[in-house]
Parts: sequence; C-alpha cells; structure tokens
Amino acid sequence: MMEAVAQVEERMDSARRSFEALKAEMARVIVGHGELIEQVFIALVCGGHCLLEGVPGLGKTLMVRSFGEVLSLSFSRIQFTPDLMPADITGTNVLTDDPSGRKIFDFQRGPVFAHIVLADEINRATPKTQSALLEAMQEQSVTVGGKLHRLENPFIVLATQNPIEMEGTYPLPEAQVDRFFFKLVLHYPSREELGRIADLTTAAPLAELREVLDAAAILLMRQWVREVPLAEVVKDYAVRLVLATHGRQQGGTGAAPLAEKYVLYGSSPRGLQSLILAAKARALFAGRPNVAFDDIRAMLPPSLRHRLILNLEADAEGVGTDKILAQVLEQVPEVP
Amino acid sequence: MDFDTRVLHRELAELLRWERRKRREQILSEVLFYALLAALVALPLHGWLPAHVLRWFIPALFIAALAPVFLIRRRWQPLHSLRALARLDKTLRLEERAITAWELLERKETGGTALLVLKQASEKIHPGAARALFPRSGNWQAYVALPLFVLWFAMVWFDVELRFGRGLPAPATLAHQIREFSRELQEKAKSDGLRESLRWGRELEKAAQKGIEAQSGDEPFKRELAGIAKKMETARLPAADRHQGFRAETEQNLKDLKAEVEAARDLLNFSEGAKGAQGSGQKWLERLAALPQLKKQFDPQLQGRSLGENELRSYLDKLNDQVTRELDRRTVLDAQQFLEQLTKQGKGEKGETEARLAGRGEQQRPTDGEKAKTKGHLPGDEPGRREDVFAAPPQLPAAAATQLKGLLAEGASSGMAFKGKPSPGKSEISQDEVVATYRRQAEAELEAEQVPESLKDIIKHYFLSLGMGEEKKSTMSDQQPVER
Repeated sequence: MMEAVAQVEERMDSARRSFEALKAEMARVIVGHGELIEQVFIALVCGGHCLLEGVPGLGKTLMVRSFGEVLSLSFSRIQFTPDLMPADITGTNVLTDDPSGRKIFDFQRGPVFAHIVLADEINRATPKTQSALLEAMQEQSVTVGGKLHRLENPFIVLATQNPIEMEGTYPLPEAQVDRFFFKLVLHYPSREELGRIADLTTAAPLAELREVLDAAAILLMRQWVREVPLAEVVKDYAVRLVLATHGRQQGGTGAAPLAEKYVLYGSSPRGLQSLILAAKARALFAGRPNVAFDDIRAMLPPSLRHRLILNLEADAEGVGTDKILAQVLEQVPEVP
Repeated sequence: MDFDTRVLHRELAELLRWERRKRREQILSEVLFYALLAALVALPLHGWLPAHVLRWFIPALFIAALAPVFLIRRRWQPLHSLRALARLDKTLRLEERAITAWELLERKETGGTALLVLKQASEKIHPGAARALFPRSGNWQAYVALPLFVLWFAMVWFDVELRFGRGLPAPATLAHQIREFSRELQEKAKSDGLRESLRWGRELEKAAQKGIEAQSGDEPFKRELAGIAKKMETARLPAADRHQGFRAETEQNLKDLKAEVEAARDLLNFSEGAKGAQGSGQKWLERLAALPQLKKQFDPQLQGRSLGENELRSYLDKLNDQVTRELDRRTVLDAQQFLEQLTKQGKGEKGETEARLAGRGEQQRPTDGEKAKTKGHLPGDEPGRREDVFAAPPQLPAAAATQLKGLLAEGASSGMAFKGKPSPGKSEISQDEVVATYRRQAEAELEAEQVPESLKDIIKHYFLSLGMGEEKKSTMSDQQPVER
C-alpha cells in the first residue's frame, strides 16, 4: 500500500514538474497569459478543445505554435476564410497511379491530421466548412469518401476568433461552440508586459523552444486526471453551479438573479463534464490528490462562459456571461 | 497505513460526535430560552392554575413540550456532517482533503490516489483537534437564558402579580379584596380605638392571606368567609347601654359625640389643672352642654340638677366608652354585612362593588343613564354614560388623616393631624374638635416649657376665651365646620 501511495506521489510530482517546466518554457516567448497557458494545457490533458477569443495581435497564434514546439507534437495551421472548403480541412481523395500503373484514389490528409490544429479566425469560414471540424473535434476522426480516418492522439483544436470585425463572419453554431472544452479570452497586456513584449520581439530573434513533454506523457496524464478523487459534496457544488446558470423555467435553481433575467439557455451537461474534468486536472497540476472547491471555482468561467445563451435584453444592456457567472459563484454556497 | 486510516477515521468521527453534541446543547439552550420566555408571558395566567405550587413547574412544562419539537425538527442530518467537515477543511486549510477522506473512508476505497488523500489528511489532523479547534460557543439564547431565568424566578418568588387588562386597581381574587378590606378596617379601628373591629380585621387579614397563598379559588374562600361572618354575628357586641338613644343616631352623630366627649374631658382636665381658674362644676357643665351632641345626651340625664366635677368626669368616661362600643359594634356589623354580601352575591364585578360599598356604609352611585339627584355636580354623572366606579375621584375613607399646615416662620414648628369626616367632594371637621386639639397641644407645649414664661398666661386665656366664645356661638349655630 505504501508503494502505491509512493507511486501516486511520484506521478503527481512528475505532472506538477512537467507543468512548471512547460510554463517556464512558454514564458520565454509568451509574455503574460500565464493563466491562459495553464488552461490550454489543462484542456489538452483533458482531451478538450479551446476557443480563443481576442483582438488581433495578442499572440494567439504564437502561443498555439509555441505549444506545438514545447510539447513535441505535430502542429498545423488552418487560416479560415470564406472560400475555405471542408476538404481543405479534412483532406480529400485524389486520383493517382499506383506502382503497377493502375489509377487509384489516394487519400491526401488535410491539415486536421496533426496533434495541435490552429483554426485561425474560425468564424470567417462558412458554416459548412466550420462543421467539417465537428466530427474531428467530437469523434477524433474524419470520414472522407465513406472511409473513416483516425486523427492523431492527443488531438486538440485551438480555434481563434476576433470579437470585432464582425463584417463577413459566420458566428459559430451553438452545437459547435458547445464542443469546445474551454473558451479563453485574451486580454490586452499590461504596461509592463508590453515593455517585455517589445524587448523579446525586437531585440533578438525568438528563442528556440525546448521540448518538455511528449505525446505519451500527455496521454498518461490524461489517465491520471481521471483518477483524482472528487468528493460528493464538491461534485454537488459543481452541479449546483451549473443549475444556477439556468432560469427557473429551464429547471434551474434561480440562485443567480442575473441568470434568471438574462440567460435564455443555461449550460449543457457537457459544461459540467468540462468543469469537473478541468478541476481534476487543476488539482493534479497543483500537486493535490483531490479536487477542492477552489478548483471548481477557478474552472467555472472558461468551462461555461461559451455555453450560456443570453437573451436580447442581455445584449442590449451589455451584460456578458462572465458577469453572470461571477454572480453565480457569489450566490451558490459550497455546502448547502 | 492501515493504522493511519483508523486513526483518521476515529478523529473525523470524534469531530462529528463533538459537533452533534454542541448542536444538541445549542438546541436545548434555545428550548430553555423559549420556555422561560413563554413562562414569563404566562405569568398572568397563574391565577388559573389549580394549585399555587404548580407555577414553579411551568418552565419545565414548556421545556417538555418544546424540546421534542426542536430536537426532531433540527435533528442531525448528513448535511450537517458535511458542513462540519467543510469547516475543518477551511480551518486547517486542507483544501477539502478532510471531506474527501471521510467519503473515501466511508466507501472503503483503497486506490493509490485515495490512500494518498487519506495520508495527507491524517498528517494534518491531529488527535483531539476537533475540541481544540471548535470549542463550545454559546448562542445568544444561551446567554439570555440565565437573566431570563433569574427574572422569572424573582417574579414567581416575590409573587409579582401580572394581570390582563390595564388600570384595574381591584385585586383579581376575592382573597385579595378581603385582604384590602381587612387592612382598611384595621386602620379605621386603630384610629377610632375600636378593639373588636381591630380583632376582626386581623382575623380577616389572616384568612385572606391564607386564601391568597393557597390559591384555592374563590369558592372555598367564600365558605371560609361565611364562617367568619357567622362567628362575627355570634360574637357581636351587645348594643350600648344607652342603645335606645344611640340606635337613632347616625354614625356621623356618634362620631361627633365622641369628639365632643373628648373635648369636654379635656376642658375638664384643663380647668382642674388651671389654678385659680374661675367657675365651679356647674359652670363647666354649662359650657359642655354648649356642645350640641353632648348637650343632647346631657339634657335627659341632668333634668335641671347640677353635677359635681367628679360626677361629671365619671359620666363623660362612661359616655365615651358607650359611644366607642357602639361605633365598634356598628363597624363589626358593617363588616359582617359586607362579608355576607360577598359570599351570597359576590359573583361579578357589579355585585362585588356593591358589597364593597355596603361594607363602607356607603350608597352606590347612580350609573347607566340614571341622573344623580344628589351628587349631580360630580364628574362622570351625565345621563347615558356608564361611570367606572374606579375612575371616580378618590373618596377619603372615614377618619382619614387630614393635615393642616400653617406658614412656617423662624424657630421650631409643629404640625397637627385631624381626622376629617368624608363627604362627596370635601371632608370636614367640627370647630370644637379643632379647638380642643389645639388647646391640648398648647397645654403640652406649656408643660414642656417650650413657651416663654411671660406668654403662658396669654396662651391659656386665649384658649379659654375661645371656649367661652363657643358658648355664645352655639346659640346661633350648632356647629361651624372647617372645610379643607
């Protein structure tokens, strides 16, 4: 028994050290966004996808590319444009000659066949093209010409979208948004961070990043995350938080008045799954063998902010999901 | 490791036991608080208790009624265990290790991660931590309960009587009424020197006190009162020797007569003490005869003959004794009638009020719509208005002390108490009585040598002249009242 405990302690220590190393390495090229890096890594370890939202120039693409380098994972980038076709993402069958000279269809893999896929400005492509990602994100496979093709494991889609310049964009359908594990919002850097960005990018060439983690280690971590125990009362807290995002008419608790007033549809059960899994991963990287209320609280906004569908009144009054979730956190007690 | 989990389980279980115990104590302190509060509120209802001693058990009764309700409604539930463990986590900054460990122990999980949680929790939770971390903290009800208990105990111990309704000076029970009546009776008897009345007054008070303490209700007490009334009737004084003359006299006339007899005796004493004072016994007799009530008694007795001083003194003593006995007899009779009325028709406020008035020798005043014919000037007698007998202006009881005050000048001063005879709106006292009293005091002052030697004769002559002046006046009017 002592050995089992020592083993768990060792792997937890290993996970924590890997995480610290990843953050340190990323900090060499990314200034600030520490919390964001942590959340992307959590999503990766949990097998989820992230939707990154931020104005241009905040380093979204750089961050995703750096992830690929640090994690020793294959990386591909798809620039979404209105004329992008589904086949441009998934790949297509092309007619070629086999060695014997016969004509055959050969599947040319699209950019989705990578560990880390950056779907840049995802909302600029048509819904048809956006939906090409749906199967890949959910099933981790693509079907072309009636043939199923498995994607790499681990597989993570990091999509970015620009909250401004809505002209000529196609907002993501709710079903697709719900498939993102996290929605992360990049904020403008502070004065100090801006200074450091200037130093890093204008003085010398960008540093070469060291690989700190490989695919196998990530898959192992993915297994460890699921083993982190979760107390019933903590789970119940997560459930009550999710229910508080619903209005009473949708079977919610009505604990948060803002949710009652502005939310048209609250979080889906997928939101609860994300929340709990992310909380477990956070506990693991904190070197803690159990989930704490604090983990749930920290993971609530990225897990649920894109899953609340607000009404027109909220839009008119400028009430965002973050504000509603803040109130939910405030109103729902840890232990009833 | 096994050992650690057992220790941890024991510690967590101990924490929960401790919290349950504290909760029970808190609930019981709340029960005690509400029971005492209810007991205080129920103080005015003590009158309805069948036995006096039961009032001590009222809080216990409330506790017995409330405790099961509180204990069941606020019984310990699994949620309370979770709260206690969450509190432990917060206090020790365990980041939910304790609460998770408790669940893992309950589920008997033996996985590596589960064991690590148990290990980390047991490292931080030390034996006996529960009591040290979460000592008893009394709720506000517990702090208020003690003063509340003291208040309730004091109120019951000192028999503080709270009753429903406001402005009701009348006692709640018959025993209280009788106690009040007996005290008035004793006061009157003491002031008039009525021995039998004083004796009955004391007996009544004893009986009333017993009735109050026994809390046995009005009916048994009425039976006791009836017994006392019977005894009064049996032991009632026979009418005075001169009852034929006194029977016709009103109580007021008798009181006047008594005052005049006292004044006459004083005059007689004064004439004896004054050397060289003029006048023989016959002459003094003439003066005494000037007192109207006394004259009425003297005339048939003298029948034109004169009396010597000793004979006169003896006659006055005898007369005084007879008047006092008659007054005593009448007072006892009044009291007896009062008791009889109470025992017969003492049900209801009106009946009791009538009985009270009968006991005081008074007539009930007109009430609903009945216009007062003789006392119409008094407030509250307008037709159609029911007058509350207790709201009427206070009437002085017979022989209540009246204080006459003069202007104070430099030097020693002295006061004098007069007992006025009450009548509606005023009390009065005869001039003769006032003069006699003043004269007595003057004599006392003279004897005590508090008056300068040169003024002593002047003072004597002054009071003697007042006495002579009274003789002259008596031909014009029988009595000159001094009104207050």
